[in-house]
Amino acid sequence: MNARPREASFLTRLAPALDGLPEARARAALLERLVGLGLPTPRDDAFKYTSLRLLERRALAPAPAASTPDLAILPPASGARLVRIAGRADALPDATDSGAAIKTLAFDPSTVTVGDAATDRLRLLNAVLATQETRIEVKKDASATLEIVHLATLGGSYPRVRIEVAQGASLTFVETYLDAAADASFTTSVVDVVLGRDARMEHVTRQLADARAVVLEDCRVQVADGAHYGHASIALGAQLARLDLTVSLEGRGANADLRGIFLPDGSREHHLRTLVEHRAPDGTSTQTYRGVATGRGRGSYDGKVVVSVGAAGTSSRQSSRNLLLSPEASIETRPQLEINADAVKCSHGATTGSLDERMMFYLLSRGLDPSTARAVLTYAFLGDVLTTLKDEELRRQVEERILGVLPSADVIRGFVHE
Amino acid sequence: MTHINRGDPILEVSGLVADIAEKRILNGLTLTVRAGEVHAIMGPNGAGKSTLSQVLAGRPDYTIQGGSAHYLGEDLLALAPEERARRGLFLGFQYPVEIPGVNNVYLLKAALNARRRELGLEELDAFEFMSVIREKMKLMKMDESFLKRGVNEGFSGGEKKRNEILQMTVLEPVLAILDETDSGLDIDALKIVATGVNSLRRDDRAVVLVTHYQRLLDHIVPDYVHVLAGGRIIRSGDRSLALELEARGYDWLLESSSAA
Repeated sequence: MNARPREASFLTRLAPALDGLPEARARAALLERLVGLGLPTPRDDAFKYTSLRLLERRALAPAPAASTPDLAILPPASGARLVRIAGRADALPDATDSGAAIKTLAFDPSTVTVGDAATDRLRLLNAVLATQETRIEVKKDASATLEIVHLATLGGSYPRVRIEVAQGASLTFVETYLDAAADASFTTSVVDVVLGRDARMEHVTRQLADARAVVLEDCRVQVADGAHYGHASIALGAQLARLDLTVSLEGRGANADLRGIFLPDGSREHHLRTLVEHRAPDGTSTQTYRGVATGRGRGSYDGKVVVSVGAAGTSSRQSSRNLLLSPEASIETRPQLEINADAVKCSHGATTGSLDERMMFYLLSRGLDPSTARAVLTYAFLGDVLTTLKDEELRRQVEERILGVLPSADVIRGFVHE
Repeated sequence: MTHINRGDPILEVSGLVADIAEKRILNGLTLTVRAGEVHAIMGPNGAGKSTLSQVLAGRPDYTIQGGSAHYLGEDLLALAPEERARRGLFLGFQYPVEIPGVNNVYLLKAALNARRRELGLEELDAFEFMSVIREKMKLMKMDESFLKRGVNEGFSGGEKKRNEILQMTVLEPVLAILDETDSGLDIDALKIVATGVNSLRRDDRAVVLVTHYQRLLDHIVPDYVHVLAGGRIIRSGDRSLALELEARGYDWLLESSSAA
């Protein structure tokens, strides 16, 4: 069958780049497997709303070993920080005051075990090209705060991060995706998280890549008994960005609180997909996603909740609300529920529309001009998620970026910051 | 803005006809409100009372099919809602909308400064504004927590109405149209609202109270009372008309009006 000629040609172009890399043969074998499978396309259900066709026009390469981008572009750090350039740790010493044990290891692609599913294939692509893996460990009952900045350079960036938060420990973890140079970078990241019993993690990913970047994040999380995993994703940049977030509630009473904002403007595409698997009794999960599309921006939120046999007492709530601020903007949303257990409470609600006319009229009747009223309401629409960012400096930075994307930013800035 | 003297016309509505979704709501309504006056507009449910308020404030859902409305000599219907507000027309909503995430105080400050710009006055800075709002909050017996909340967010019905009146006292409109501000208020809240409205009464301003019940008029004594039914004013009088309506209801008027 010759079903995916485009993707195959894109992938086969990668082959010569593997020669200089360690474990070249293992990589070549993975690449061959990936070429056989092809990259995901909208024919794959998990990628129903995401087309990767624009990769066809991109030339990817492994991370160059030594490059020193301008680090002045980094936003102010609100705590200990690691910087990974094109997925590698060569540039800066890692912060040592985070409370976590941090190691950077050579990545051996032959150790990778992933399936053939659409979402696994981007992991496979990462494995073909990644050369390092960052391991972060928070020991039992310890507490840590850490940011990792993924700086993409020209060509490709393939970060891999493994996080273990031991029993009773807590971690606040911020991932920032940025470009070292305004260019058509490509990032495909793999982040694996394991939370021990009663552990807590608050995970923020902010995607601030340049206008031509492609950023594909895949994050998978296992949550043990009584542990809490919170995730806030903020998508602001890139030409095409996608987050796949899979959270598996493995232990009794495990909890996941997933939130996100995406703001496709211009001709950007932002896609989010969450899969929450309730595998044990009494787990709780919430998903709160807010999208605002302007210009010809396109976005999607695809949120699935699976309640396994035996996960009685599960409680899950999902809310996806989206605003379209121009006639050519579009956002797709798809809530999916699969329930295989009894005594389960699951709810979901999804709306996509324009600004509330009653709210608009109220603000106009108080003398606000229409553009201010629209901007203020748009910003307020994101409040449900923004207010969950507890780190004030981080929230301020995110708010500034959002204001930079919205129309009438100056007006809202005056309105909300006094 | 030119100086307004007692007795100058503020609002002149003549033969106003308005539809919503092709249904006629206002059907030849005529009303003149002059500076220094308080008018009460009463009428049975569905008479068009709220429509009149919303049309005068510029709600886009209504289509004007005939007649005219002038505000301080200008064609009111040609003005956008925000222009009406900046020129000093204030609508107190019957059902104030909740706007989570938009802070009460920011809205009020933006509203006041929009009005001040129109008047050629300097905008107030945060400090000056806060001293104004604290004074008015005291008048309306509102507590400090109000300052941090979203617009009407989680407010009880009574709090929403008090918030409308607070906004009115801060904005000091030339013409305040209060749409059933009294509905759903207990007697204490009603008195507070009345205090707010009475504090606004002046020779160069006017108030239109739209109400279903006469009890508000015990606390805010109107100069004129009008009965609105079938989209028109069918009877005008002084305060005694309101008392008569309370005693006799609306039916006798509706009958005599349809007979005529």
